[in-house]
Amino acid sequence: MTAPFGDAAASPSKLGVPPVPALSQCRIVELAETPSGEYCGKLLSDFGAEVIKIEIPGSGSPTRSLGPLASSGGHPERSGLFAYLNTNKKSVALDLSTASGTATLSLLLDQADAVIDDHPPGWLKGVGLDPGTLEAGRPGLVLCSITDFGQEPLDDRRHAEDLTVFHGSGWGYHTPGGGDDTQPPLNGPGRFLPSYEAGLEAALCVAAALYDRASSQTGRFIDISKQAVLASRLDYVLGQLVAGDMDVSPRRGVFDLRGPAGIFACRDGYVYVWLSEPVHWQALGRLLGGPDWMRPFPDRWLERECTAERVAECRRGIAAWLKDQARDKVVEDAQRLGLTLAPLNAPDDLLMSPQYLFRAYFAEVTHPVLGTAMYPTVPYRMSASPARIDAPAPLLGQHTEAGFAALSGNNREDRP
Amino acid sequence: MTIGPRGGPLQGVRVVEFSKVWAGPFAGKLLAFLGAEVIKVESRGALDVSRIYGVGDVDKAPGFRAVNPQKLGVQIDVKTKEGVALVLDLLGKSDVLIENLRPGAMKRLGLDYETVRAVKPDIIYVSMSMYGEEGPLSDQTGYAPCFAAFSGVSRLVGPEAGKPAGMSVRYGDSTYGTTTAFAAVVALMHRRQTGIGQYIDVSAAECLTSMVGDTIMDFTLNGRVQGANGNRHPEMAPHGVYPCRDGEWLSLAVSSDRAWRALALAMDRPDLAEHPQFRNLANRKAREDELDQLIAAWTTSRDAGDLAALLQAHGIAAAKSLSSVDLVADPQLWARGLFPEVPDRDSGTRPIVGPSWRMSRGAAITAGAPKLGEHTDYVLGEILGLSPEAQQKLADGGITR
Repeated sequence: MTAPFGDAAASPSKLGVPPVPALSQCRIVELAETPSGEYCGKLLSDFGAEVIKIEIPGSGSPTRSLGPLASSGGHPERSGLFAYLNTNKKSVALDLSTASGTATLSLLLDQADAVIDDHPPGWLKGVGLDPGTLEAGRPGLVLCSITDFGQEPLDDRRHAEDLTVFHGSGWGYHTPGGGDDTQPPLNGPGRFLPSYEAGLEAALCVAAALYDRASSQTGRFIDISKQAVLASRLDYVLGQLVAGDMDVSPRRGVFDLRGPAGIFACRDGYVYVWLSEPVHWQALGRLLGGPDWMRPFPDRWLERECTAERVAECRRGIAAWLKDQARDKVVEDAQRLGLTLAPLNAPDDLLMSPQYLFRAYFAEVTHPVLGTAMYPTVPYRMSASPARIDAPAPLLGQHTEAGFAALSGNNREDRP
Repeated sequence: MTIGPRGGPLQGVRVVEFSKVWAGPFAGKLLAFLGAEVIKVESRGALDVSRIYGVGDVDKAPGFRAVNPQKLGVQIDVKTKEGVALVLDLLGKSDVLIENLRPGAMKRLGLDYETVRAVKPDIIYVSMSMYGEEGPLSDQTGYAPCFAAFSGVSRLVGPEAGKPAGMSVRYGDSTYGTTTAFAAVVALMHRRQTGIGQYIDVSAAECLTSMVGDTIMDFTLNGRVQGANGNRHPEMAPHGVYPCRDGEWLSLAVSSDRAWRALALAMDRPDLAEHPQFRNLANRKAREDELDQLIAAWTTSRDAGDLAALLQAHGIAAAKSLSSVDLVADPQLWARGLFPEVPDRDSGTRPIVGPSWRMSRGAAITAGAPKLGEHTDYVLGEILGLSPEAQQKLADGGITR
């Protein structure tokens, strides 16, 4: 149905051997039902891991009701979010609130290498997977839990959504860059940035734990905190702040860099202009045709004499020129002249980006309800074990029967 | 000198890093935190430029120290033939190479994939670049806000109307580095199964597009181009950041009708709890401006931390928006152990930003960032097995330090 990510043109095989899915030996049970754990599972299933998604019979994962919903009809299987986050997975409907449900889960776990969960702390114990007794009970299992603040949240961190985690991590207060202190700090892009970041971190840890397990036969409990993930993404500044190398301050602009770099409006869109060195300044001069306002600036002002007045004047000059220019033409000219300038792209721009097309970043996937559409794939092109979408997200309970049948008398060699 | 085993799932894996500034070093740092031995190759003439940002002493650059803990540093001049030969010897005893130099730089050094593979056939060779190593934009370079702009991230941050504001200039490199580390570990899994290494080509721009993948789906399924929406959320209301006393801010998200009733009670407004105009999400979305004004009027003279505690006690998702002052003192992050102390040659110990994760049998976090060439002796002697005389000869020739 779909081509492997990265066709021959985009990713010439540097090895001359047929690709083998990197994680085809791994079976993962996904108990997660929010974007963080589902994204983690997807990162692994797109590398060939068998990811068995456990869903509540009847309604399934709550992400099945989250948008973007395909506009037509009221079909329960029309969530584009679920379709995106669950490619290549299998759906087994199982009611974990019943004793027989958890007993069946236990049988599935006997054949699993790893488990991904994203329920609140304490939930796992209720389905028979107490992290505290994992080592004794299931020493070979990799169990990864993703929560908002980790397994031991303080009393004032028990309830969270991605917005509040974003603000509880240090990112929110300093977003947007160069913001106006009288306006509220803002959320990050989209609805789920903290979830995706945590899902990525979880996938890294699970992959590393599976790597070790392949030789040691021992599993691990992994505790992922969205807050800690986001805070750690700030290490370049947070490391300096915590070591006392940089002053802390209630200022909103603490993370900002000096200088005139920023977002500017063109006639038909926006661009980001980076300016930090003389070479950028010279390239800007060539792009703008050497306007009078640039002449009084010292050659090395960006590095050495970057005053607030000069920054303001520079921004005025760039803004006045760019507002009448066509975005794509400016981008093309800037790239040629060596000015570091990038367009603020929207999805429609990206779908047509020659670079993204070259790398086959989008892949066509056919889903039984949503039909055929382009899906974002992965940012890494791998010569020997490319990620690929072989199957669309499962319908609710699509693999329940096969999953249960496999439990009777199955051994691991029987796997397809 | 020997480097003691630190444990962790990647113990026994050796990574050689040719990297600079943030994204490449971040990828190496995560692998080191997972237990890999990560060796950063530098020389006076080819420094990680973050060693010279803001300071004269290359061993004390704060940004460099923040992103490079738990690594080893070797000084080898890769602009000499002997230096390249030495690096190839080291790569012959390594598992992973990570580089984020300018496009083409590794080839000019004579350290491209084909050359490295000739000495280490199963090497996992990871190249990082802004748009990928090949394709129409592959010669372009840039910094995080540039690939954030290109990726679709920047235009999704901003007020509901008007000019997009973009993320903090700091966003992007670490996400890109994490993605790279993940791909490298997956390749290790693959190598364990098949015995073969591979070449990995990571695009920074695509890494960030992946962080807003569902907005792409909205376009490809529905033709809808989402824009910035301030602090709002299509499936929750209220969902915002509200002014508090002393210039502080409170973030708050109400994800259910029950949470809304709890919020009304926390605000001491039982009349709002059952008010038909706010009863369900559709009602609240329709009157979101009014709702935000009501909440802001309640928060504006109160303490953000007190409000967060009050709302949490009522079961509502709320958090103070943490300034840098709050962040370095955050009791949750300290309780989790995010800031382990490592030995410091000047002050005894020094806190670093450690791994975000906690895991059973994780790697011990024992060291800060290396001084330039701090582990040259270890690499030449212990790993490469060079005699003291051979090491001295390399040093005399200016190849190593």
